[in-house]
Amino acid sequence: MNPLTSVNTPVYLDYAASTPVDPQVAAEMAACMTMDGIFGNPSSTSHEFGLKARSRVEAARAQVASAVGAESDEVIWTSGATEANNLAIFGVAHYYRGRGMHIVTSRIEHKAVLDPCRELQRRGWRVTYLVPNRSGIVDPDQVAAAIDAGTVLVSIMHVNNEIGVIQDIAAIARLCARHGAWLHVDAAQSVGKITVDFKTLGVDLLSLSAHKVYGPKGVGALCVSRQRGVQIEAQAFGGGQERGLRAGTLATHQVVGMGAAFERALTLSATEVPRIAGLQERLWRGLASLDGVLRNGSPHSCVPHLLNLSFEGVQGESLLAAVAPHIAVSAGSACTSTSQEPSYVLRALGRDERLAESSLRFGLGRFSSEADIDTALSAVTRAVVHLRRIGGECTTAI
Amino acid sequence: MHYSDLTRRYFEAARQVGVMSGEGVCRGAAGSRAQGTWIQFDVRVEATHILEVRFLAYACPHTIAVSSWVAETAVGLNVQAALPESVQSIRERFGVPIEKLGRLLTVEDAWIMAMHASI
Repeated sequence: MNPLTSVNTPVYLDYAASTPVDPQVAAEMAACMTMDGIFGNPSSTSHEFGLKARSRVEAARAQVASAVGAESDEVIWTSGATEANNLAIFGVAHYYRGRGMHIVTSRIEHKAVLDPCRELQRRGWRVTYLVPNRSGIVDPDQVAAAIDAGTVLVSIMHVNNEIGVIQDIAAIARLCARHGAWLHVDAAQSVGKITVDFKTLGVDLLSLSAHKVYGPKGVGALCVSRQRGVQIEAQAFGGGQERGLRAGTLATHQVVGMGAAFERALTLSATEVPRIAGLQERLWRGLASLDGVLRNGSPHSCVPHLLNLSFEGVQGESLLAAVAPHIAVSAGSACTSTSQEPSYVLRALGRDERLAESSLRFGLGRFSSEADIDTALSAVTRAVVHLRRIGGECTTAI
Repeated sequence: MHYSDLTRRYFEAARQVGVMSGEGVCRGAAGSRAQGTWIQFDVRVEATHILEVRFLAYACPHTIAVSSWVAETAVGLNVQAALPESVQSIRERFGVPIEKLGRLLTVEDAWIMAMHASI
């Protein structure tokens, strides 16, 4: 029985947007919020309360570092992957601005990378936005070709948050090192799904998020490679925490939650990933039997937790509205009251506006079950048949 | 996006879906699939009365619901180049956001085209 599903709630299939806090993680966090002494300021090392909190913070730092193959002193706590991305991009840009003012990224990055890049553009930087192939892959040779003498930073995500495609970060890292550009990788969607090894990948800066890995919202981290010598300039000031790179009192319960979540993700991944891959295959096979269903992103290089599909002959908003009572998924469009903007990621892959709009992102996770997948299959099939009949494209009875 | 109960009801169990042909059937359509909103009405008319209406729509839930309601409500009315209620009244009845007014006007265009064909 899926603990997230009751008779009256839709099945949760939006794990790529956020995951519930694992009960074991929640228990560890709650233990930090009692009167037992973990409430101290981790910077107040002159007394027992602060020392206790500091000890838990450092233990969590070691857990996160271990989960991603980094050293503890390479981990800087942030409020999430968005802040980590901002710190990486602005931090490197400001520190190395005398060396050049050019950044290379891709068109399918998360907004937390694209928006800082746009802001730097506004401040006079040059930004090259690489276009992936139709499968969503950024060719490492594209990266190499885009780097020039003024390139300071390359920022390419590990796993795409909409289509689940995995980029060849190790190859990109080798090329960046050869051409003298720092490499930042947003790995918010990677941990617990594929192996993330900071050192082996050869990455200089790595952004992490807790709430994509069954940890709490409001905490993340940036790994800054000590071995590779990359420097960043602080973006927040006022207390000198995190070696002066990120000021602000640390939220002990949050970082403890992230540490526990990352450790648990590492422990469970050997059994969890194949199980979820089986669920994804069940979902894909079931929906592929409908005509006019197109898979977005390479099926050969993607995490099993994500399945992004476009449905021909159905209008995007109607598709989402039709399935919403039964399953909680994301659309390939940012619905607002005023407009429906097709996914820029799918548009970058060459999908036309209508197909980009009529897509659904299924995010599978730790608590997904076969029964959930069957509910999704039933709901989506009924919705597509219903909408195609209304649209005059299908005469099949519902 | 929030949908009113009426919108949900007519969207989830859309009535009068389909096409008609034969004597007395007039067709009107507006919008385009490429633009994301397309509506077609088939109206069977006898003398000055609407006998039967069917519709097709590639559109958002509000537009589908309103088209279905128009197709249902118009039966028995006199042929006239106007919707059974004003666009503003229908918008309020279904709780359609003002930003979607253009889509309701597309419904009206399709309806008027069918009516003109029948007059």
